[in-house]
Amino acid sequence: MKRRRARRAHGAAVLAAALTLIGAGAAAGCSSISNSGTGTGATSAGATTPAGSASSSAAGAATVDTSQCGSKPGVKATGTPIALGAIATNQPGTSFTDIPNMAKAYFDCVNANGGVNGHPIKYYIATEQTNPAQVAADAKQLVQSDHVLGIVGSTSIIECSVNSGYWQKMGYYVIDSGIAPECYSTPNSAAVNMGPRYSSDGAVQYALAQGVSKVVFDQANVPGTGYIAAGPAALAKDKNVPIVQLTENVPITDANSVAIKEVNDAGPGGAVILNFTPPEALIILQAAQKLGLENRVKMWGCSTPCNTDFLATSLGSKWNGKLFVNAELTPPDGTNTTAMNLYKAILKQYGSSVQGGIGSFSQMGFTEAEIAVHALESINGDYTVQSVNAAFKAVKDFDTGMLCQAWTYGDYPLHIPNNSDYTVTPKDGKMTTAQGCTPISAVDPQIAQYRGAAGTAANVQ
Amino acid sequence: MPPWADFEPFIVSGLALGGVYALSGVGLVVLYRATGVLYLAFGAVGALGALTAWSLAQASAPGWLTWLACIAVSAAVTLGYGTLFGPALAKRDPLVKAVATIGLTLILYGLMDLLWTTSGGQARSLTLPTDNSGFTIGQITVTDTQVIALAAGVVLTVATAAFLRFTQLGTAMRAMANDREITATLGVPVRRVEAAAWLGCGALSGIAGLLLADLVALDATTLTFLVISSLAAVLIARLRSIALTFAAALVVGLLHDLLTPVVSLSNYRDMTPFVIAAIGLLVLSRHRVMVQSREGA
Amino acid sequence: MRRLNGLRLSDLTRPRILVTTFLLLFVLLVLPQLMSLYYVDTMTQVAVYSMVALGLGVLVGRVGLVSLGQAAVLAIGAWVAARLLFATSQPYLLVLLEAGLATMAVGIIIGLPALRLRGLYLALITLMLAGGITVVLATVNFPNGGHGFLGYDGGLLHIPPIRRPSFAASDPAYFRFAVIIAIAMFGLVLAHIKTRPGRAWAAIRQSEPAALAAGINTWLYKLWAFALASFITGVAGGVLAGAIHYLYSINFPTQDSITLLAVVLMGGAYSLWGAVVAGLLYQFLPSLLNNWGVSADWLTILFGIGVLQVLTTAPAGLADQVPRDLARLARRLRGGGRSKQAAKDTPAPERVP
Repeated sequence: MKRRRARRAHGAAVLAAALTLIGAGAAAGCSSISNSGTGTGATSAGATTPAGSASSSAAGAATVDTSQCGSKPGVKATGTPIALGAIATNQPGTSFTDIPNMAKAYFDCVNANGGVNGHPIKYYIATEQTNPAQVAADAKQLVQSDHVLGIVGSTSIIECSVNSGYWQKMGYYVIDSGIAPECYSTPNSAAVNMGPRYSSDGAVQYALAQGVSKVVFDQANVPGTGYIAAGPAALAKDKNVPIVQLTENVPITDANSVAIKEVNDAGPGGAVILNFTPPEALIILQAAQKLGLENRVKMWGCSTPCNTDFLATSLGSKWNGKLFVNAELTPPDGTNTTAMNLYKAILKQYGSSVQGGIGSFSQMGFTEAEIAVHALESINGDYTVQSVNAAFKAVKDFDTGMLCQAWTYGDYPLHIPNNSDYTVTPKDGKMTTAQGCTPISAVDPQIAQYRGAAGTAANVQ
Repeated sequence: MPPWADFEPFIVSGLALGGVYALSGVGLVVLYRATGVLYLAFGAVGALGALTAWSLAQASAPGWLTWLACIAVSAAVTLGYGTLFGPALAKRDPLVKAVATIGLTLILYGLMDLLWTTSGGQARSLTLPTDNSGFTIGQITVTDTQVIALAAGVVLTVATAAFLRFTQLGTAMRAMANDREITATLGVPVRRVEAAAWLGCGALSGIAGLLLADLVALDATTLTFLVISSLAAVLIARLRSIALTFAAALVVGLLHDLLTPVVSLSNYRDMTPFVIAAIGLLVLSRHRVMVQSREGA
Repeated sequence: MRRLNGLRLSDLTRPRILVTTFLLLFVLLVLPQLMSLYYVDTMTQVAVYSMVALGLGVLVGRVGLVSLGQAAVLAIGAWVAARLLFATSQPYLLVLLEAGLATMAVGIIIGLPALRLRGLYLALITLMLAGGITVVLATVNFPNGGHGFLGYDGGLLHIPPIRRPSFAASDPAYFRFAVIIAIAMFGLVLAHIKTRPGRAWAAIRQSEPAALAAGINTWLYKLWAFALASFITGVAGGVLAGAIHYLYSINFPTQDSITLLAVVLMGGAYSLWGAVVAGLLYQFLPSLLNNWGVSADWLTILFGIGVLQVLTTAPAGLADQVPRDLARLARRLRGGGRSKQAAKDTPAPERVP
């Protein structure tokens, strides 16, 4: 009897401990990003004094006052908040939270410097673990419980697929960083990035331009592989270059066989183009190097996720001039424009929750927030779901300073507003530009369709 | 069917993969023989050690210190688990003991993702100095790390078989894995032997974790659940023969990679460990009903 | 009047039946109005995974077989349902039945050779089979409206959603539909427990050699349990398909089977309420934490602690332990003189295999 009592007491104690754990976690979590308030994170240095610029200096760039982000520098916004929302994947191995976190940093800056016509922006970030039920539920939470007026900054493997019908029904025109096909093929989503298909197009296009005799396109086996593969297939077919399509289950446990297979299939005059997240791409490339295979093909290519200085550093100098990475956004290093400097300054001052630092993720977040604020500032009258989304849809030829071309939403059946890219290559631990802005070829039928709808077909090949 | 020359490089990489599976598999069987527990947290504990080593390396600690830390962390966690939960579960079914280690796996997995968060653009990697040296077979370079992994598997197989058979401590461990109470009545200092077994096994998982983090990936998910694929070799050896585990692991690795150039089967090659384990177990058990015996020998 | 451990059956079950009925009516009629759509969606998932936990509970708690492959079984059920829903215009209930039967067939085919193994080996072979099925699913993918046997078109620009029954198209209506199906499954298990299979399973769990000696065909009843668990999980897969509209192979990783076992153990493998608790742990808690902005990793750690706690101190799980702890607390508050009642409490079986 005593032992049973002791057991029960032990059990009760563990249960209590567990509940306390949840309670503590909840208490800690309650003040976290999902209920981001207005103007938090703004330090006193956000005032108009030059002290602000000292705290925002980036290496080698002219110092910029972050108060430029808003219309009334130094004035905290105090009107009724404008609620915006985002859905981002955050699970072990894949986390896109840097993108909405950077958007939040931008909104914080705006809130500290006049807001949008005096209104602060209240930003709700919902995270998900690639579970369709959860993704759908998050959307309903944002719309029906948090009453967001617009969706800005969503980045998720499946969100566009799961929610495109819902956004259409509720009248939301989403500004996102796309991954799933529906981010680019539906009327209610316009992305600031190019997404896996068009980014892979860019990498394959560059390889074809170097005159490779064969292309091996290898991608991660996550939703959408067929859609993604269709782009490179069209480009290769147009140039009469044979293409081998491969997929790998991720996470990869045997990178050696992957690297050997790719190299064997490509041959000495061929190119291996990868479409993986940075950790997976890194272990494939490292395996190729350890096996001594990096010179066995003419060149290696990679879609945008490889575009990080971290990858360049991890790969080392053996890959100088061998790997060519598609870059969807203007490379931060060596660019000294107002927008780029403002981005670096805001990241430094307000972006403490952005773990990746300077890179394409935070650039995307910055760009999306920039577009949203630009659109919101154009609204005269009440801020409602209708007015906000009409303003988003009306964005036309906006120069974000972070992309190759001006960004347009527009009233089209599909949206691929970012369809020109840079190509970068690692050099001694950093990514440097190998080729400037190049439009993605209209041989990809979706690109052709978009350019026709947007009326830009005449300007570009 | 592709020509023979296409298969050649995969023999080398297949043996390397086999070495990876052998390291985990042999480790699991050794632990089972010594403690009576199928230590499913083997991968997670190794991953914890490897990530600790990575963090120390980021803080510019010298290489040998990071490896020592990896082994120490793995040994400490395993010893802690063994001391806390070993005696309480000692009389239970091996199945219950294995499920309990699943509990430990989940705790460590959650902890690792909390402490070493996934950040969007970054990738962690662990390199050992033996990565830069090697030799060439055909057109493939084999790194010294891969050789060490295979050699470690061989050494482990031979050394632990001998240890368990011929030394006093080893015999005591086998006896305890078989029946703890009777061993205690024989005057064997069970707590000390138990502690030694868990400590040794923890150190083993630390070493394996370091090598696997280099050879496979420094990723908590990958390393934690690599143990599932390694179970194939363990099951074929029916948790008894260390040598058979080693051989089976090599076969699984070889077959996995040899399927790569076969276009129709290539996408299914990750199934290899599971199919082989299922076939092996079912073939081996066709004449009798299989119950795991309580003896570890 | 039948007696159960010294108590008359009517004393024990009448209040329980009343409470259960009241709770179910509340859940069906009132709950959807009270919750936001976010939580309605969450509770639909709870209903689905309660069924999966129910199946696993039959295996682990009633018969003593541990399966580490139930997530793969769920995936098979969802696959069959999705294929039928896209390819035919059959009524939803018929599709559910077919999905359940197809999954049951797979369960029997697997069980036939696998049940020659016992204990740890059986658990591990279910893990191996689940691993294999996961790889196959990653390659063939779930049906998404394409043609051919597999029904998968990789190049679709816009994936069509899996349809729902016409009478349960909205989220609250689908929630009620899921709960009703779950009630039916629980009823099916209850029917088994109260009749011969239940008694045979109890005998097998107590001691398999003794059951054999008593003339029970242990192999047949174990296979029956496998078939029942597979059927229920297959039906759950069908309900899941309609709930989430889109199925991806990455949503059914092998590690989910491990987490499922953890929550079933924590909830209580033997009790039917334990399956509901397991469903709440598996779907409601993560949803709650996600809403609060707390990382799901804390939950993983909690499940690990829960498994260890259950196996070392409370083998019957939370569903048994919490009410008894509360009852003890109530008795203490009422006064120690009534403590003799405690001795007459129906104890749940102490041993999990």
